Parts: sequence; structure tokens; C-alpha cells
Amino acid sequence: MNLPIPELLARYHPDHQAGAMETLLVGVSAGERCPAALAELLQADSLLEDVDIAGAPALDADVLIIGGGGAGCVAALTAARAGARVLLATKLRIGDSNTVMAEGGIQAAVGAEDSLQRHFEDTLRTGHFAADKALVAALVCEGPAAIRWLIQEGMSFDLAKGSPHMGGTLLRKTPGGATAARLLSYKDFTGLELMRTLREAVLLQPGIKVLDRHPALELLADDRGRCAGAVLHDLGRGRPILARASATLLATGGAGRLHLGGFPTSNHYGAMADGLIMAYRLGAKLREMDSFQYHPTGIAWPQHMEGTLVSEAARSAGAYLVNGQGDRFVDELQPRDVVASAVLRELAEGRGVERDGKLGIFLDTPTLERCHPGILKDSLVTLSHLAQRCGIDPAREPLLIRPTLHYQNGGVAIDEAGHTSVPGLLCAGEMTGGLHGRNRMMGNALLELVVFGRRAGAAAAAQARVGLPCNIGLSHLANWRRGLIAHSLSLEKKAPLLFPSYGNFDATNCLRGTTQ
Amino acid sequence: MQAKKSAQTVQSDPIGLHFDGHHIQASRGASLLEAWMAAGLPLTENVGCLGQGVCGACRVLVSRPGTRLATTALACTTLAEDGMQVAFIDHFPARRLHPYDLHTMTDSWQAIRQINTAFPEAQHCRHCGGCDRACPKGVEVQRMVNLACAGQATAAGALFEQCVLCNLCVAACPEHIDPAHLGQFVRRMNAALTLRPSDLIMRIHEIEEGLQPIQLDAEGANPPLVKEIVS
Ligand SMILES: Cc1cc2nc3c(=O)[nH]c(=O)nc-3n(C[C@H](O)[C@H](O)[C@H](O)COP(=O)(O)OP(=O)(O)OC[C@H]3O[C@@H](n4cnc5c(N)ncnc54)[C@H](O)[C@@H]3O)c2cc1C
Ligand code: SF4
Ligand code: SF4
Ligand code: FES
Repeated sequence: MNLPIPELLARYHPDHQAGAMETLLVGVSAGERCPAALAELLQADSLLEDVDIAGAPALDADVLIIGGGGAGCVAALTAARAGARVLLATKLRIGDSNTVMAEGGIQAAVGAEDSLQRHFEDTLRTGHFAADKALVAALVCEGPAAIRWLIQEGMSFDLAKGSPHMGGTLLRKTPGGATAARLLSYKDFTGLELMRTLREAVLLQPGIKVLDRHPALELLADDRGRCAGAVLHDLGRGRPILARASATLLATGGAGRLHLGGFPTSNHYGAMADGLIMAYRLGAKLREMDSFQYHPTGIAWPQHMEGTLVSEAARSAGAYLVNGQGDRFVDELQPRDVVASAVLRELAEGRGVERDGKLGIFLDTPTLERCHPGILKDSLVTLSHLAQRCGIDPAREPLLIRPTLHYQNGGVAIDEAGHTSVPGLLCAGEMTGGLHGRNRMMGNALLELVVFGRRAGAAAAAQARVGLPCNIGLSHLANWRRGLIAHSLSLEKKAPLLFPSYGNFDATNCLRGTTQ
Repeated sequence: MQAKKSAQTVQSDPIGLHFDGHHIQASRGASLLEAWMAAGLPLTENVGCLGQGVCGACRVLVSRPGTRLATTALACTTLAEDGMQVAFIDHFPARRLHPYDLHTMTDSWQAIRQINTAFPEAQHCRHCGGCDRACPKGVEVQRMVNLACAGQATAAGALFEQCVLCNLCVAACPEHIDPAHLGQFVRRMNAALTLRPSDLIMRIHEIEEGLQPIQLDAEGANPPLVKEIVS
């Protein structure tokens, strides 16, 4: 039962399971490993042929931004304020994203006992020293300025108890792995507060045209391989649109809805790795694609809540994890990968609890309430709401939980300005790699999308002066298909999928009018 | 295809409901969005967080058997019930006739006037309560509108803390007040004009003065010398 941590991770962490990873055969990151289900999509064919876009209407912009979550909105605001004409295309509605779902908070080293250097070292250590130091330095150095920027956009933050609005101090919590209290928050819905602020700002900003329900299907390139925009699919009308731009910025977020390894997910409905797939096909390098974060406490039962996150707040407040035999089996406050692996071990070794066919272990809220009467009502409000929607009284009955696929640690490799290895193509947010190494600290993802959204937005606006590329099309696909054939990979598989299979939408046929 | 899918999900105790013109069957315990998907119907809009209830995308009108009035709800946090009638409410962006620019608002003495300039319709509130009835989050919308008009920006903003910007109150308002956006306006104005944390300001000053350098090669920025062997 008491395995050393490296062995626990090696035996039970989903990234380390036999057959979980596959080696990429085609593309610029050939030879690197990534989850099998993702490899299949990264090495799939495009949904498009030249004929699909012949005669498609075109829209021109200086900067095309794909993805309307946090990173996309921050980039759009920055680029537009730098004078660029911005087109913001998003799959669902602007704001429907992982960003709006974030609960815990955002990191920035503002405490007197804290420092940028500490934030820098904490981030590197938590990521097992796999992160890019220059990127992490940029992240932490701009943390305080990013918070100021958010306040200027109208986002609120919690203040320390009794602090006045003017001249008070920010409420700070300690994220797992940090050596100082550094997590800033707004109640336990920091992402909602952040996203609705950004959404209002974008909708009011002159120079940004928002296209809701316009997922990108493929990037466009000029004859020298420079990214020149994207083919968007107008879901409402069921037709393609060519969005041509001097600079293209992808901010399509994570991959949770691929349900890697069959796991439920905390992610929003559109987290399908679309941007990653499109960028890779055009030649963007990837990194740490074999590293994903599984949050230990997702809801396991009831079915309609499966995968929903139970925030770390419960464990921080002292709630125990208890298996089917009524025993604790792990220090609940260890890093997420360790706790998740320990839960999976309990399930694998038959010490789980089953309910209506769903397997999990208990988050012991009744004992917590007994030891700290009133805690559920007073400080764990979101948890209490969650329990209510599960149809249980958390003071009497524990929540059934199991790990849920939460975050993509790696992604497209970028430099400090958000440039990828493809000219004209920039990326920001969860879809990029290099900032978190092999394990992300809580609160660094929200910081990342502000800092790198701003950097990439500014760089994209600067590139826009290069002018609109000419000879634009899908010429890069010929090369890509040759590569697939050379490795005996099927041209039948198409990607991106846009929506999970249970969404009953067939991306392959969406342009040919057979669906919708 | 459709028939096969719904047959799979029907349990011993199925629920029947009408959803956007389709008669579908669902299993007990499924949310309305899950029931829709399990019936094989395409879900490419009216969805975002899929269960957390924070994105405001999955608005529906619901009427239950035996009730005359239809109510608004979020489909991802509402369970399917036998005999329900459900319809998605399409996305409607708020019309923004009076845009404002937060960055030009520097004089907080003018805040009340600015509320009235950006949202002049707010003073025409009829106290009809339509917005309150529409809100799936139980926000006191009407009260917020009235407080905002009276210049009580902090109290007004506090009422909108739980708003998920579903815009149902916007659709419900006969005076085109755009309550949700008025709510965000006062919230944003409160933060942008009055939130000035001293610890943040001090740290920004230190950074500007070069007092917070980063040492890329510090001991703590590199792996410990003795490395654990991980298989
Ligand atoms: C439940 C939950 C809790 C979290 N809590 C925290 C926390 O407390 N602190 C923290 O720092 N981080 C947290 N995270 C992580 C953090 O929220 C995300 O990593 C971050 O918000 C990602 O931002 P993004 O802009 O890169 O992507 P997203 O916000 O996910 O936005 C991606 C956007 O791209 C769109 N898109 C996708 N594909 C396409 C396409 N083909 N064409 C056009 N548009 C497309 C999507 O619809 C979406 O609008 C949490 C995540 C989740 C899911
Ligand atoms: S206040 Fe309006 S926009 Fe906000 S949740 Fe309620 S109805 Fe929706
Ligand atoms: S719906 Fe409009 S008019 Fe009616 S109470 Fe609400 S804000 Fe006032
Ligand atoms: S899908 Fe987000 S509120 Fe229902």
C-alpha cells in the first residue's frame, strides 16, 4: 500500500499506462510521444479539399484570432488597441470555454515575503524542471502587471479580511507546490469573473469583429508556407468562409473532451484539441505532449455530474479521501498527480465504491462537518451547491469521486512573444507548451492566458504590418498527405472533430451538407 | 441510427419528454442536455460548460405537466422529467446602443451620470419583475437596475455576483434596459475606479525599479543534483 511516489506514478498515473502513449510518425515532431487517441488525430487528414473552398466568401483582417476563451479575448483586445483590425472566430459563443469554469484562482507574486524568483522556482520545480526558463521568467515577471491590467478592465479580486478597496491588500491563498501564499481569487469563481469582464470588454472594443459559431477547420498557407489565415465553418449556414489575415493567432485551449484513456473530464464541451491539430499539420513544433493533468477529485456519480470538478478547497480544508473499506490511503494534500494515482490504485485493486455502475471513492464531507461544524455552509459554498445538484446532503453523505482529465500540460512550442515555428502563426493559452513543464501549478493557467494573450496579441498586431499574404490556399496539405501515405497512415481518418462523438455531429460531412 | 441510440439509453423506467419538436426518451437522472444527446440529436450550440452551470449557454424554456407557466432554466443543470416540454432559447446578443469606454472614465464624481449616459433606458424600469422571473440564477435583477440608477454602484454590483451572462433578463425586459450588461458595467466600473491594492502597487513599483530580478541559474531553478531514478 505504501509505494514510493515514483513507483506509484509509474504504475497508476494514466500517462504511464502501457499503450497510453504512441510515437508520432509524421510531422515536425515525429519521434515524440503523445496519447494514442491524440496521435490518431494529429496524424489524420484534413477535412478539406481545394474544391471545398473554391468560391467560398472571404473576410480579410490584420489579425485573425481563433478561440474565444480567455487567451483569445485578451489577445484580441491587445491587438485591436494596437491598431489592428481583428477578426475573432470561435466555435461556440464567445466566453464558452475552460476559462469561465476556473474556480481556484490566479497566481501573482505580490506578497511582501514572496518574490518573482520564488514564483519562478516554484513553477519550475512543480513542472519537474521540464519548462522553458525564458517563458516562465516572462510569466512570473508580468504577473503583477497582468493583475493590474485585469483590474483596469474591471475584474474584481478578493481582499484580505477587513481590507479597504483603496490601499488594502489582496487575499492570498497558497496553491499546491508554492512556498508562499500567492493565489489571488474572486470567491470560488475566479474564471467566471475574469471571463465576463473580458467578454464585455471585447464586445465593446471597436476594431474587433466577433464570429460566434465559426470553428476553424484548417489553416491557410501562402506559397512559402507562411500561415495566412484559416478556413472557418459557419455552423449556422453550414458553409465555409475564408478568413485571410496577415497574422493568425490560435487560442483554442485544451483537449479534455477527447476523454484520453476513457476518463471523464472537467473541460468544456469544445475542448477537442482542434488548434493543436491544425497547427501541427502546418508544421508547428509540439512539446511535452505526453503530459496531462488528471485532477484527483471529479464527480464519479451521479451520471449527469460525471467529471465535474470538486475543487481542491475541500481537501485543503481537511476533507479526507476514504476507500470502500473506510480507510484513508493517501495524504490528501500531495501534488495532484500523486493523489490521482493513489485514487486509481484503490479503484484498480478493488477498494472502490460502486453506485449505479459508476466506480469511485469517497470524499468524506460528513466527518469534515463533524470536526468543523458549519464549515460546509460557511466556507465550502460551491461544494455544497454541487452536492445539492448531486442530490445529496454533504453533511450526511460523502461525495463519490474519481480522477477527471483536467489540463494539457504540453502543446505547441512558442517563444516569449507567442510565435510558433511557423511564420505568421502565433499561439497562446492552454494549447501551448513550455510553461508548465510536466505538471502545472494551480493558478498558473489563468496567469498564462493573460500574460501570453497580451504578448501574442501585441506580436500579431506588429506582424500585421507585413501585409496580407498572396497565393493563399491549402497547398500544405499535399505535402502532409504525402507524409501520411509514406508512413502507411490512413487518409480516411479526418480531423479536427470539433465536437465529442456524443454530440452527434459529423465534422467529415459538415461541409457536404449531410449533417445539419 | 437515431432509433438505435435512443433504444440503448432507455432503461426499465424511461422518461418521455418533448424537446424542440422531438419526442425523446431519457433515462432517469439525466440532465436535459444529456437527454438531448442520448436521443441522437446534434449538439453544436446552446452548450459550453456542460454541467457546471457557469457559462449561460444552455438556456431553455421548460413547462412541466400540470403547470400553465413556462419557466426559464439552464439545460445542463436541470434534470429531465416525465412529460416535460422543453425548447432551446436561441442566442441573442444584447444590442449595445450606448457603448461605453471604461478607460475614459477617470472621474468617479461623474459615475452616476455615466451610468445614465450608457444605459439611459434604465430609468424607465417598470418594476414588472420580468427580469427576476427570467433569471435562472436567482439574481435580483430589478433591484440592481434600480440601485444602479440611484448611483449605488457597489450595492448594485454586488447583486450581480452570480450572473452567468445568459442574457435571459435582457430578452425579458420590455424597456430594452439590457440589465445583464448594466450589471457588468457597474461591476467593472467599481473595480476599475476603486480597487487599488497596496501590495500589488508596491510590487509593481519594485519591478519597475529593477528590484525583483530573476536569476535563471539560481540553485532552486535547477534539478537537485542527486536525481531519483524513475522508471
Ligand atoms: C473546471 C476547471 C477549473 C480550472 N481552474 C483553474 C484555476 O483555478 N486556476 C487556473 O489557473 N486554471 C484553472 N483551470 C485551467 C484554465 O481555466 C484553462 O487552462 C484556461 O482557462 C485556458 O484558457 P484558453 O483561453 O487557452 O482556452 P479556453 O478558455 O478553453 O478557450 C478556448 C476557446 O477556443 C474555442 N475553440 C476550440 N476549438 C476551436 C476551433 N476549432 N475554432 C474556433 N474556436 C475554437 C473554444 O470554444 C473556446 O472558446 C481550470 C480549468 C477547468 C476546466
Ligand atoms: S442576471 Fe440576467 S444574464 Fe445574469 S444570470 Fe440572471 S438572467 Fe442571466
Ligand atoms: S424586466 Fe426591465 S422593466 Fe421589468 S423590472 Fe426588469 S429591468 Fe425593470
Ligand atoms: S452548458 Fe454552461 S450553463 Fe449549461
